[in-house]
Amino acid sequence: MAVTNLPEFIRADGPDKVTGSGRYTADMTLTGQLVAKFKYGEVSHGRITKLDVEAARAIPGVFAVLTAADVPDVRYSYGLADRTLFATDIIRFEGEIVAAVAAIDADVAQQALDAIVLEVDVLEPITDLHAAIADGSPLVHEAIDTYEVTGDTPHSGNIATHSSISMGDAEAAMATADTVVTSRYLADASHATPIEPRAVIAQWEGDKVTVWTSTQVPFDARAGVCETLELPTSKVRIIAPHLGGGFGGKCGAHFEPHIAALARAAKRPVKLVFSRWEEFIAPDRRREAMIIDVTTGVDADGKIVARTGEILLDNGAYMADSSFFAQAAAMHVAGPYVIPAVHIDAKLVYTNHQPSGSVRAPTAPQGCWAIESHTDEIAKAIGMDALEFRRKNIVTSGSTGCVGQTYDEIGLDQCLDMAAASAGWGQDLPDGEALGISVGWWPSFAAPAGAYAKLHGDGTVQVITGASECGTGSVMTLRMLAADEIGIDETAVELIYQDTGAAPAGPGSSGSQTLFNHGRAVEKASRMVADQVKELAAAQLEANVSDIVLDNGTASVAGSPAISIPIVELAGASETGEILGSAAADAIEWPEITGSTCLGEQGFSSWLAPQFSCHVARVRVDADTGVTRVLEVHAVHDSGTILNPVAAHGQVEGGVMMGVGQALTEGTRYDDQGNQLNAGLLEYKLQTIADAPKITTQFVEIFTDNAGPRGAKGLAEAPNVATCGAVNNAITNATGVRIRQLPMTAERVWEAINDSEAAS
Amino acid sequence: MTMTIATTIDEILSGLSQGARPIAGGTDLVVGSRQGKGTLPEHLIAIDRVSELAHIEVGAETTRIGSGVTHATLMTDPTIVASFTGVSDAAALVGSPATRNVGTIGGNVMNGSPAMDTGAPLVVLGAQAELASTSATRLVDLDELWVGPGRTSAADDELCTALVIPNRPESSGSAYVRLEYRRAMEIAIVGAAAAVTLDGDAISSVRVALTAVAPTIISVGGLDAVVGQPADEAALAAVSEASSEQAAPISDLRASDRYRRHMIGVMARRAVEAAARRASGETISVPVNRALGVGAQS
Repeated sequence: MAVTNLPEFIRADGPDKVTGSGRYTADMTLTGQLVAKFKYGEVSHGRITKLDVEAARAIPGVFAVLTAADVPDVRYSYGLADRTLFATDIIRFEGEIVAAVAAIDADVAQQALDAIVLEVDVLEPITDLHAAIADGSPLVHEAIDTYEVTGDTPHSGNIATHSSISMGDAEAAMATADTVVTSRYLADASHATPIEPRAVIAQWEGDKVTVWTSTQVPFDARAGVCETLELPTSKVRIIAPHLGGGFGGKCGAHFEPHIAALARAAKRPVKLVFSRWEEFIAPDRRREAMIIDVTTGVDADGKIVARTGEILLDNGAYMADSSFFAQAAAMHVAGPYVIPAVHIDAKLVYTNHQPSGSVRAPTAPQGCWAIESHTDEIAKAIGMDALEFRRKNIVTSGSTGCVGQTYDEIGLDQCLDMAAASAGWGQDLPDGEALGISVGWWPSFAAPAGAYAKLHGDGTVQVITGASECGTGSVMTLRMLAADEIGIDETAVELIYQDTGAAPAGPGSSGSQTLFNHGRAVEKASRMVADQVKELAAAQLEANVSDIVLDNGTASVAGSPAISIPIVELAGASETGEILGSAAADAIEWPEITGSTCLGEQGFSSWLAPQFSCHVARVRVDADTGVTRVLEVHAVHDSGTILNPVAAHGQVEGGVMMGVGQALTEGTRYDDQGNQLNAGLLEYKLQTIADAPKITTQFVEIFTDNAGPRGAKGLAEAPNVATCGAVNNAITNATGVRIRQLPMTAERVWEAINDSEAAS
Repeated sequence: MTMTIATTIDEILSGLSQGARPIAGGTDLVVGSRQGKGTLPEHLIAIDRVSELAHIEVGAETTRIGSGVTHATLMTDPTIVASFTGVSDAAALVGSPATRNVGTIGGNVMNGSPAMDTGAPLVVLGAQAELASTSATRLVDLDELWVGPGRTSAADDELCTALVIPNRPESSGSAYVRLEYRRAMEIAIVGAAAAVTLDGDAISSVRVALTAVAPTIISVGGLDAVVGQPADEAALAAVSEASSEQAAPISDLRASDRYRRHMIGVMARRAVEAAARRASGETISVPVNRALGVGAQS
């Protein structure tokens, strides 16, 4: 199908957000509303010896105090059902919720928290990844063998998931290599850090509950409420008002069940608004720390012959949605290269840290940073230019990658050449400045999604979708698709979204799926409307249905534009006064892989509609201080067809900025008890607009079959993959030293320079 | 809790004598309270609408900067930029445009943080704080004002009404540089200010003060050896070494003591170099951090 000229992007939620007229969850107030607060475990590892909430319940103005004893005994989490809403016996991280209170105001709620008697035997925290998987280590979950397991989730002791990707005989192939390079890289944990802290309001009417919440995934949130409170789907409605960012961190059900339970017990609406400290310590979504060991062998021509590796990932205390992380990390450490023999083991390790979970392209920035740094080390070892080495080894159309997937038409080679050209690869730069290059990849995900479309008698269209707008602009692109299918102006399309009570289910804003899956459903539902309009038009114009063209608000006969009728007249002429469409996106088959054997298969070995990218960063390093400034990033992406160039550029720019932050300043620090030390925005340093480099974005547009609408792939996560690696390689090119820990803070860069000077 | 909006200095002083605490921009007081560093005082008296506090007056001997002058004014006021450039350098680095538009120099000084940006340049320029109460007005040297982190020697009923700086001789320059990890919403990891007067090519006087390396802003002593010397590599190295030696930095989330000790030497060197270049008549735009690519570079 041809790609049509979609109209210029108009962001329907833009004026609301810019003027402040838009309402976010924390802006809402319901009559009789109470304030919720959580009592946290306060230690990262401990056994509860006493928990007494009677004194808290007795305080005037306290309407409900809940503990594990007050909610169904349900264990949840993907992969391994390892978690309960409230701690039962063991506290496993500092943000573990022990009790929840609902009170007349914040002061009384705080008094109630203070009145809760919590006595804990403090246990030695398990925080070191190697120690955690050693024989005889104490276990984060002593009863792990009794937990329900879903999917292929091999686990033992503190290893929550053990996945591998494996093809050929890597050891034997390595023995044939002319040059072998081994590297170790460490990545600190980091955060999604949406500017809007989480907020949840729950209100019961009879036996039905409505929850307004800052979620990216209303249907997952609904499933979480239903599962943990043992409620039928039809009794729970989730509405997400405007969302102030998510970056993956607001995936899954987070605190909706707690607040729904509180509201039921209190018989009043209950509202939770997180402080910034809570936003850092309590969610079970953060970017995981990693230890990455990798060895690569290359032949005399500079072709990779084998790669082996071991990755340890800090899962924190609970699974959340992290069961696929080990395999995803392994794919990134293999990378978008032709590698005939590969074996990478990846272990997701329980610790007493905050649980890891989806944050924009989970595992990718760290894995890519490590492997792209390693790639430059290999190129240096054999005396080859880093760009040339990648040209020689990356996957291209028709080539077979690290797990035996053979790619259709892909554009990584074009990404590489375009990014290098844009940045002026090879040019002479002032002292202290250099370029660094990195390639990256990320899959697209197919998931069930539905949509309704209604053409009203007045010619306006309502699209009802399960999609969520967490800032990407993708939902707004759905309007463009509907308008284009039905042949009307985009401004005539109104979206109903982020309401499980209205829309058919879908994945929401997660996994770059909004356009990819919801878009296909919206397109199909809108086409059903268009088909009915064409039938009505054909009857009135006495033409064949197949000759009817819908465009510019008019139905006309192909080749005879004078024979036409306004679409608004046809809509009003239908039997019901409106024309309805309802559709589910078609299922998509995952590509085949051959020749590989992967343990702990989590759906991350075969990649549907894989996206590719190349980022070249230009940095300036102040060698006296180690302060690195990213001056330019040249980003070129293959995400298939680009349907909405304005939003697509915005995604790349945001992803690059997030990457710059992760590269230079964003990293969680812990005390020796596993508690976060920098759980606030002064000491956890996000990048500001004043730090933004000049970002030059280009797209290699390849119409991709078996993908999203009109040949599109995903795009939200891919721009967050390659920046860290490009920055590290640029730092090395500028200073001659290699930074091996993420983030590459000024002090770490200075220490490396200092050590190097001391050694020489 | 009460909040009184004062329109004259007398109203402020009267309020303070009855136990109220002053609030201008509120960028330290309110933010600190929200972070749990202390509860807000029972009685606040807003001083931000008292226009007498917001003047900059150039006298024959001294320049008087009202305590209510904002950072946004300090970074652009032609008198301050021309004569006390280090203060402008510092003001330009504070927080964000929003912080700079409401935050004041009096608030910065009286908050007493060892990481305050305007403190070190005021010290090297020999500024004194003018403290007024209903009974008296006095001038206090800054090293006597700051007695510890967040603590000053001012009495509870005293208001800082101005910072008074001796006017600078010919061929003088000043500068403030700091180590920062990002270019906005940042706090000094370490910082250094310098004031230099030249006699021909030779340094005739030099003062250096350091930010965030001790419980208060400290002056660097023992720089006599560089007086009479040109501001060359040897002089800068001596300043750098003396600054590193005299710093007493701590290790915290922002940096290790080792890194801070090295960095304070780098910052002091850069501050003296920039101040000397300004003293020689060269224009280096405000702030030095951006102009010379110090810290997080432009």
